[in-house]
Amino acid sequence: MKKLLAIILLIISFLLIYFLQANFFTWFTIMGVQPNLFVILVLFIGLFSGKKLGMIFGIIFGFYIDVIIGRQIGISGIMLGIIGLVAEYLDKNFSKESRLTIMLMIAGSTAIYEIGCYAFNIITLGINLEILSFIKILFIEIIFNLLITIIIYPIIQKLGHMLEEIFKTKNILTRYF
Amino acid sequence: MDRNKRKGIVGIIITVIILVLLVVFTNSNTNQMSYIQNICNVFVMPIQNGFTYLKNKLSGNDAFFADMDTLKKENEELKQRNSELEQSLRELEIIKAENETLKEYVNLKDKYKDYSTLPADVINRDISNYSSTIVINVGSDDGIKENMTVIADSGLVGHVISVTSNTAHVQTIVDTASAVTSTISTTDDTIVVQGTLDDKATLKATFIPTDAVVLEGDSVETSGIGGIYPKGIHIGTIKQVINTSNITDRYAIVETAVNFTKLNTVLVITNNK
Repeated sequence: MKKLLAIILLIISFLLIYFLQANFFTWFTIMGVQPNLFVILVLFIGLFSGKKLGMIFGIIFGFYIDVIIGRQIGISGIMLGIIGLVAEYLDKNFSKESRLTIMLMIAGSTAIYEIGCYAFNIITLGINLEILSFIKILFIEIIFNLLITIIIYPIIQKLGHMLEEIFKTKNILTRYF
Repeated sequence: MDRNKRKGIVGIIITVIILVLLVVFTNSNTNQMSYIQNICNVFVMPIQNGFTYLKNKLSGNDAFFADMDTLKKENEELKQRNSELEQSLRELEIIKAENETLKEYVNLKDKYKDYSTLPADVINRDISNYSSTIVINVGSDDGIKENMTVIADSGLVGHVISVTSNTAHVQTIVDTASAVTSTISTTDDTIVVQGTLDDKATLKATFIPTDAVVLEGDSVETSGIGGIYPKGIHIGTIKQVINTSNITDRYAIVETAVNFTKLNTVLVITNNK
């Protein structure tokens, strides 16, 4: 029951983020660059609920984004799924209790996601590679994501521990005993 | 004794200073003093003005207190009237907005009357920083098909890339995957304009013929080559020509006629001629 409730909560957060991203952040930008809150959400799910859930949610959310607004179906799903998987690896190797490590994880994940999507678009759509412009936009996007992470860090911690209790209780026990 | 002596000397010095100052100030021109007056005025005059205003108000308007009840009533009435006016103003604003949208549709229709068009609203914009697509509120139910051209009042917007029953995805010309074959209207030279990551208000014009004379301010239109866009739709104007050491590599920056950040209404051309 708790699990079902948590999953519903995650879906609601996804929808909330979608509307924020599609409305508020189209004008609330840094030099015209929007943040990518989906990466933060999927990384958060992967970190606190495990790779299975992270990957599944990543793929579903990404697929949904592609269907609603994307140009090609699949790439966001694949990349967000990878972020969900990477989150588990990050959780095993780094502490989630530090604001700095969470920020580094967000920065890394944003870079992986955007580089992956851009590379895929270059291959499939024959877009001209504009490496400097891409790096500039990516840099601003990462900074934007980091600023948002700093602001919402207390929420990430609180909700994260709740998720961890629901989904990862057994894992924690086996890890420490 | 010494103490008294020292006190006396200090007193003398102070007196001398005061005297000197008095002499200097009283003998100096009043114009030279004006800056000091100004400084003094800054501290005093606003308050003084306030007091004077109050004094005049109180002494000159005895009736003010006498008619307090009447004024209260009047105030209530005015408040009521004000809220009524605000209400009608809001209604008028709504009507004005509606009128503007309708006018926009009519203007668009007149401008491109050779084509049969379908008006649509932009209902969603791309959430990615690396592409520029929009979603409009007409779809296959309204007769929209893939590759149909989308225009706005001021010029070309893009073309439909996918359709659902009541929405359509439009790839704008500023998207990095977009390349439109176009002509420079003054010289009829064919160029290709592409979207860039750098700026969502400009395009990069490449493949400029080596003998072409490209000038800033030249108008760029669709050439009709390629089969998607009809001929003669305005794209924008050349903003800057970048010359490189190799003339074949030169390119130009084209400023789009359409403001994509404020794009709300579009027309889909349903019969490309």
